[in-house]
Formats: sequence, C-alpha cells, structure tokens
Amino acid sequence: MSGEKKIDTQLVGVDVYVITKDGIPRFQDYGKFKCEFISNRGTKVWPGFVSPDLLLVDWYRCRFIATEEATDKDVDVFLSELSEKWLWSAAQKLWNYDGEPGFSKPY
Amino acid sequence: MAKHTITLIPGEGTGPEILKAVRRVVDAANVGIEWDYQDIGIDCLEKHGTLLPEKTIESIAKNKIAIKGPTTTPVGGGHKSANVTLRKVFDLYANVRPAMSIPAIKRPWNNINVLSFRENTEDSYAAIEHMVSSEVAQCLKIITWPGSLRIVDFAFKWAIANGRKRMTCVHKANIMKMTDGLFLNAFREVARKYPSIESDDIIVDNCCMQLVRDPSRFDCLVLPNLYGDIVTDLLAGMVGGLGFAPGANIGDNCAIFEAVHGSAPKYAGQNKVNPSAVLNSAIMMLKWIDEEAAAIKIDRAMQEVLAEAKHVTYDAGGTAGTDEYASAIIEKMEIVTKESGEVI
Repeated sequence: MSGEKKIDTQLVGVDVYVITKDGIPRFQDYGKFKCEFISNRGTKVWPGFVSPDLLLVDWYRCRFIATEEATDKDVDVFLSELSEKWLWSAAQKLWNYDGEPGFSKPY
Repeated sequence: MAKHTITLIPGEGTGPEILKAVRRVVDAANVGIEWDYQDIGIDCLEKHGTLLPEKTIESIAKNKIAIKGPTTTPVGGGHKSANVTLRKVFDLYANVRPAMSIPAIKRPWNNINVLSFRENTEDSYAAIEHMVSSEVAQCLKIITWPGSLRIVDFAFKWAIANGRKRMTCVHKANIMKMTDGLFLNAFREVARKYPSIESDDIIVDNCCMQLVRDPSRFDCLVLPNLYGDIVTDLLAGMVGGLGFAPGANIGDNCAIFEAVHGSAPKYAGQNKVNPSAVLNSAIMMLKWIDEEAAAIKIDRAMQEVLAEAKHVTYDAGGTAGTDEYASAIIEKMEIVTKESGEVI
C-alpha cells in the first residue's frame, strides 16, 4: 500500500529445536553464530542453575545469536554444519523489527 | 521452638496488608511457625535488579514451603512474570484450586464443590513466541507426554487422598488433535491405574457451559495450563469472586500457596481488601504440613464470621477493613476453641 511505513528488518539469530536424549546439549560456535541459551519446555537450562527436579524432555530450544551482521546464506551454512552432529526438528529465524526484538526470552 | 519454617512473601500492592492479616490469624492458631520474610516483584528491581531475588529463591529451596501475596506483572515490556518464573524454577507443575460454594455469599449457584488441577508449566506458557513476519505473531503450545502424565497422576493421587469420586479431563482435542490429543491420551492411560475414581472427559467450551448450567455434575477437573487458567477463574467467580479463591502451586519438592487475584495497587494501604483468598490458601498450606486441626479451626471461624456478616469486607457486603475482618476471625477461633474444649 502506498504511503505505508517500511519496517526495518534485521536478522539477528536463529532458534533451533534440537532433539537429543543425551542431556543438555553443548555447542561449539558456528561461524557467525554463537549459542546464547538453551531452554527445555520454556525453562532456561543453560547457562546457569538448573534445578535437579526439573522435568526435561528430548527437545531443546537452542538460541544462536549472530555475533556480526548475518545473511540468510549464513543461516543455511550454519544449519548445514549443525546437521553434521545434531538432529533438529525446526529452525526459526530471529529478526529485529525497527530495532525491537521479534522474539521472546525464556523463563 | 517452631515446628515449621515457612517463607513468607508479602508481595506488592495490597499484598503486605493481606499477608499481615493472614499471619495474625495463622499465628493465633498456635501452630508454631517461624516466618522467613522474603521479597518479590517490581520493588525488587530497584533494590536487587531483578523481580525475583536469589535470596528469595534460596529461602524457598531451603524451607520447601512458601506463602505468597499477589504481585504485579507489567503487560508487555521485557519483564517476565515473577509468579511464572517461580513455577518454572521450582517446577511447580500442579496448580490446585478448590472452588466451593460459600453459604454466606449469595450466588446463583449454591452447590459448587469442584477441585481443579491445572498443569502449571507447559502449554502456551512456555515463552516461545516469535514475530515470524512483521504482520504475524506465533506462540508455540508445548504439551509433553511426561508433563501430562505427571499432572494427571498427581490429580488422581490427590483425589483419592481427599475422598473425591470423579475426575474429568478438560481439553480441545477435537481441534488440537496433536497437543490436546496427547494430554487426553495421557489422561486415559493414567486413569486406568485408578479404577476407584470414575473418569471422563469434556471439551473445554462445553465444560464452561455445563459448569454454569449445573456445576454439581463436576467433582475434579484436570486441565492443560491455559484452559486451567480460564476455567478456574470462572469457578472462582461462581463461588464468590477472586477475593475468596485460594491456590497452591506444588512440585515434587516445594509448594507455594497463594491467592490467584492480583495486587490491586489502587487499594494498597487502605485496609480495605478481603484477605480470604490468601487465608484460604493458608488453610490449604496448613493441611499440606499436616496441621489439619488448625486448618479446620480457621476455616470454621471464617465461615461463621462470613455468615454473621457483621465484620466482613466490602466485596462480601460489609464495611469492615482487612484488619477488622481478621480480628473477628481470631475472636471467633477463641470461641470455637473454648467450645471444643481444646487446650491452647
């Protein structure tokens, strides 16, 4: 629609949903992408304290943040490298819209 | 020496005056509780830089039992709810909310006795939300098999321990066949282990309609998080409003008892609000720590004060303040104690 304000969209990371039965995963850095946190059923399980009572399932939301300007092509390369070691069910690109995060934080 | 050490979190808004009144009543029952005061909420942001200070978490982890006043969760913005955070940190997966008609409170229904078990950690409360385009928001609804099994199992165990007869699973599995279907399948699997309890299921929208038409047909409900949030508030409204609705958040190692209402900041410091919801939560807490006699005594005194309607708060049709209502309950407890011949 003419006159509609253009929204500035910036790719800032990727949430990857990793499936593993071997406990909380640990990740190396993948090019521009570095793991910021991991949550399970919405509760942050890395980094920091995890209650030993916490119920964990085999599906982890792993947030990778771009440490420098990243493109869709960078995401493709990152996911391809990640697939060599990890099984993942889905990936969700994280965008800032006009500088505001378009994604939630974990508990 | 105190028999129990319990973390007391006054909360925000009207929370501190409510918890002060509740503490007076519970102390008057001579249970022997040492109260460990801790902070939570917006005020903590300035003092501690967080809504939920580490010291509060440590206190609950140590004492295993807490009673909490209401807190304020800002809508929008970047702050997570302190309440939800507590449930997540301690994995308090079972939200237990009884709804019973109060004889002194006139409502269109006088036959409600429903015990609800709300799953407290999953569903659309998993904080997985994205703006997937500039026009579209997405929230992931997470229902897990082990998470569903444990809340249903908890519900059946509680029901049996409390002499209940029937458990109804509330869902929307006709539409959400994967997520709610998983919850319903878990319910059916667990129900088979408890043949002494009658079990059935109902679609959530029909459940709301049937509750309003004839609440006496329901005994216990077990629900995923979002439906539990909504249906239990509906039930609270049917029995007398949130001013009376207690709640317990229970995990395998900790339990936090709290009212389900908000902090009502506009009434803060006015000695006006009804402390019954937190007092009812305290009664649940006393039963949880095997202080049944004190729980029954407080409950009986409160029901009598409500029935007399001389010293009740505005929402119960009176003009008494929070303190006056609490004092009337304490006075009534002394009468109840003398009548029963109990030595205090």
